[in-house]
Amino acid sequence: MYMRLRPLAATNLLFNSGAKSSSKQLFRGANSSRRLYVTRAPENNKRGEIDISSYPPERIRNFSIIAHIDHGKSTLADRLLEHTGVITKSGKNKQVLDKLKVERERGITVKAQSASMFYEHKGDQYLMNLIDTPGHVDFSYEVSRSLAACQGTILLVDAAQGIQAQTVANFYLAFGEGLEVIPMLNKVDLPTAEPERAAQQIESAFEIESDKILHISAKTGLGVDQVLPAVIEKTPPPLGSVDKPFKALLFDTWYDTYVGVVCLMAIKDGSIKRGDRIVSSHSGTKYEVAEVGIMHPEQTPTTLLQVGQVGYIVCNMKSIAEAHVGDTFYKDRHPVEPLPGFVPAKSMVFAGVFPIDAGEFDSLNESIQKLTLNDSSVSVHKETSAALGQGWRLGFLGTLHMDVFRQRLEEEYDANVLITSPTVPYQIKFTDGTIKFIQTPADFPDTHTLQDFVESTMEPYVSATILFPEKYLGCMLELCTTHRGEIHNHTYIDETRVMLKCELPMAEIVTDFYDKLKSKSQGFASFDYEESGYKTSDLVKMEVLLNGEAVDALAAVMHKSMVVTAGRDIAKRLKEVIRRQLFDIIIQTSANGKIVARETVKQLRKNVTAKCYGGDITRKMKLLNRQKEGKKRMKKIGKVELPQEAFLSIMTKSQS
Amino acid sequence: MLLSKTPVSLYVHWPYCTFLCKFCAFAKARVPKHGIDHDRITNALLRELQTTLTPHRRDKQLRSIYFGGGTPSLARPKDIARIIEQAHALVPLALDAEITLESNPTLAEVSKMREFRAAGINRCSIGVQTLDDATLASMGRLHRGIDGLAAVDRARDVFPGRVTFDMIFGFAGQTLQRWENELETALDHADRHISVYQLTVEPGTPLSRDHLLRRVVLPEDDVQTQMYERAVEICALHGFRHYEVSSYAADADAESKHNRGYWLGQQYLGVGPSAHSRFVDPANGQRVRSVRIPDTKRWLQSCESMGHGTASETSVGGLEAMQEAVVLGLRMAEGIEDRRFRDVSGGRSLDRFLCMDRVRQLAEQGYLTWSQGPDSACLAPTERGLQVVDSILVDIIPDHCKWE
Repeated sequence: MYMRLRPLAATNLLFNSGAKSSSKQLFRGANSSRRLYVTRAPENNKRGEIDISSYPPERIRNFSIIAHIDHGKSTLADRLLEHTGVITKSGKNKQVLDKLKVERERGITVKAQSASMFYEHKGDQYLMNLIDTPGHVDFSYEVSRSLAACQGTILLVDAAQGIQAQTVANFYLAFGEGLEVIPMLNKVDLPTAEPERAAQQIESAFEIESDKILHISAKTGLGVDQVLPAVIEKTPPPLGSVDKPFKALLFDTWYDTYVGVVCLMAIKDGSIKRGDRIVSSHSGTKYEVAEVGIMHPEQTPTTLLQVGQVGYIVCNMKSIAEAHVGDTFYKDRHPVEPLPGFVPAKSMVFAGVFPIDAGEFDSLNESIQKLTLNDSSVSVHKETSAALGQGWRLGFLGTLHMDVFRQRLEEEYDANVLITSPTVPYQIKFTDGTIKFIQTPADFPDTHTLQDFVESTMEPYVSATILFPEKYLGCMLELCTTHRGEIHNHTYIDETRVMLKCELPMAEIVTDFYDKLKSKSQGFASFDYEESGYKTSDLVKMEVLLNGEAVDALAAVMHKSMVVTAGRDIAKRLKEVIRRQLFDIIIQTSANGKIVARETVKQLRKNVTAKCYGGDITRKMKLLNRQKEGKKRMKKIGKVELPQEAFLSIMTKSQS
Repeated sequence: MLLSKTPVSLYVHWPYCTFLCKFCAFAKARVPKHGIDHDRITNALLRELQTTLTPHRRDKQLRSIYFGGGTPSLARPKDIARIIEQAHALVPLALDAEITLESNPTLAEVSKMREFRAAGINRCSIGVQTLDDATLASMGRLHRGIDGLAAVDRARDVFPGRVTFDMIFGFAGQTLQRWENELETALDHADRHISVYQLTVEPGTPLSRDHLLRRVVLPEDDVQTQMYERAVEICALHGFRHYEVSSYAADADAESKHNRGYWLGQQYLGVGPSAHSRFVDPANGQRVRSVRIPDTKRWLQSCESMGHGTASETSVGGLEAMQEAVVLGLRMAEGIEDRRFRDVSGGRSLDRFLCMDRVRQLAEQGYLTWSQGPDSACLAPTERGLQVVDSILVDIIPDHCKWE
């Protein structure tokens, strides 16, 4: 339930033109060469609502597509939507469901988008609900909830690249949800495609017979006409009964400026219509339903939603924080047993966010509020740093989530922010049994508290899957070991590709593990992970001192074994960016009260304008004013002036 | 206002050069193909002089005139004489007025020195720059190192005790040892004043382009610092006191009166392309700075049609005037006296204006001295302070004024 912009949806609701525009699209669709497969959507009533009550569960298929980044998920979705006349086949449909700029740029889906299609198969009308899933591990909980709304899934694998770590992770998620998996090889018409090899990988990794694998090319449309028939034949219809009390799974939400929160739900039992009162199992809050409908692909109102169907509900929900992905809704006074698997969002990566210019605090505050309106999984706490001033400590689901948030702040809100290096939620177990989560290095106990009152310190681990060509086995093993990983096993999924399973501290993968993995494998390795709980770990807080004064924003919690390397590295990099001043600057890094590294920035010996040209002192005065402006942007630690670049270089560059 | 009664300096910019030095950022023009139209440039300067000095005719006195450029030694001595005469006719020259002409060390100009003296020039500044032939050639200069020293010797015959010359350090390929040797040699020929500059890469110059493209590699910062420090030491050994960032004099009398005028925040009027002025408008007492059109052709046209070539005139606010007073005053070893500061601050004291916390800290660190003299308190940089004075200024000059 992260991020989505929905300007069109608002327009549709305001002018009630959603149904009209979709029928127009249908009309164009009907004239296309794909006419054969297109089925007209049901007629709309006076309110502009369409009636889909004639679609019982056996005529409904809820399915998703799981694929590694760039294996063609969004392109296949575009083709299916064109095929069924939901969107026109204009050649402009480039990843219709990926609406965010960052999604299209990075080829990822941050936010699940869903769409309903009407389709005729062997003389029967079907309502096909394509439930898109976020494509990245940070959103694995959201993936699992989206999958819980489906009964089947297309496992899409690039015939040239073969299966990747993400394919494996998503397969197991789908498998865990009991979904029917329909394997397909995409891009089979590319010259580099090796469908036999990819099929062999699928067979050995997932125990799926290779002759059951569909060969398609989403880009050119090759074999795409077999996709929906395969889905209909193989996917079981949704279970549930229209006679039972209403029960629905909320699996996606977004915020609409005009109507508030819009919820996407899978109806598990019963039916729902405008005017009904529904209740959240999680919070007990009651809501009145203002509108129901399907995504076609924009919001299209319907007279009702009933068992097996998937659609949106507008119910006067004001804040996205009220909408919890995985929550179960029921009708007022008809409580039901909540669906299993609900977990509130939890932050796994924390970072401080500060305005580069302190004067921009208020505008940044506003931007962050707006962004979190649509992304309740970002946790927000105010934070004050002696070095960086007022800011926030934000919690994210993962590093990609953090990057996406930062990119959206910068691109959509034109914000100029400084983000401190990410930390993970460490745990401190006190001797009295209490447990404290460390969200920021400032929370870490001091040396005395550690000695006298702390039983153990713990850090979160992940279990990781890495896939790569066998010639990189050596350097991949080394990479894991240098990042304190414990190797579980490695297996050959075909003659040349290896799947490596290992446990890694989460802290090791939040900075640049992925970049190193890619560079050491020349881009051939893929990586995915899931959380695997906490382990006892010897943690220390490393502090950075400038002429004896600690710089809070540069402190970091880390494993004891990392302190010397990290300490030296930071001291060295600070030395490069701190400008000489009128006194020596001693840079020290320390842990547990012991200095681990030391560098000196020698005092400035000469800074003087040689000549003031022919009475032209305006230039000199301009220079002075520029310097004074620059000084205002410096952060002062005691007497030492620290440029912004000092923080940026520590926070953005990786340790070498 | 007190300042309106102080003496005024006159700067005359003579724009033409026979060659353009690669590091020069002054307004200049290569001598036109058909030669310099001496009458035209002189008449334009005279017209602008007339327009400029007329409002100051009453209670003012010319303390100094400085002919800079360009290459004013290319001018005809009789034209220089006309300019000096007209200036004197408008605002009388003080009895001890210093009248300086910048001169190239090329033979043809050196031979004109006696004529310039007859025209009224009583001080000569020679652009020696370096004694290294290869560096001179690479900077676009036409003379050799040996010519530079010969010119100094010749000038000393004509203007005994009143010759200065420029030396520049920090050229590409220069080593500390070579710089020391060069400076020692130069000082053997020096009169009672010398200017020593670090080569400054000014934006827009050919040197700046070469530097950006890494076609020239200048000495490391640390080496340049040593060159500066050695210059201070070597000059001292030769009896030259470091009285301003780039200026050295055998005694107080030998210091450049004209330049001291700038550093003391006194009024100056400039004529010629790109010339700057800073004065108190006699009509309304308002402090003003102005600049002339930098392009010689356009400046000429403007003078001919309107009687002056002013590009812009801006009134100077109190804060700016006070900031300038400190910026300029701290270029000199003697620093800035509180009583002089009060001339621009409306009587408020220097210690009320400055960030005195920082002043005291810097004094403790040995960069500044803040002393109470018999007549006035005085803020001055130490030798160490002078060397980093730009960093000091940023620290002690406030952004706003407490009483404005």
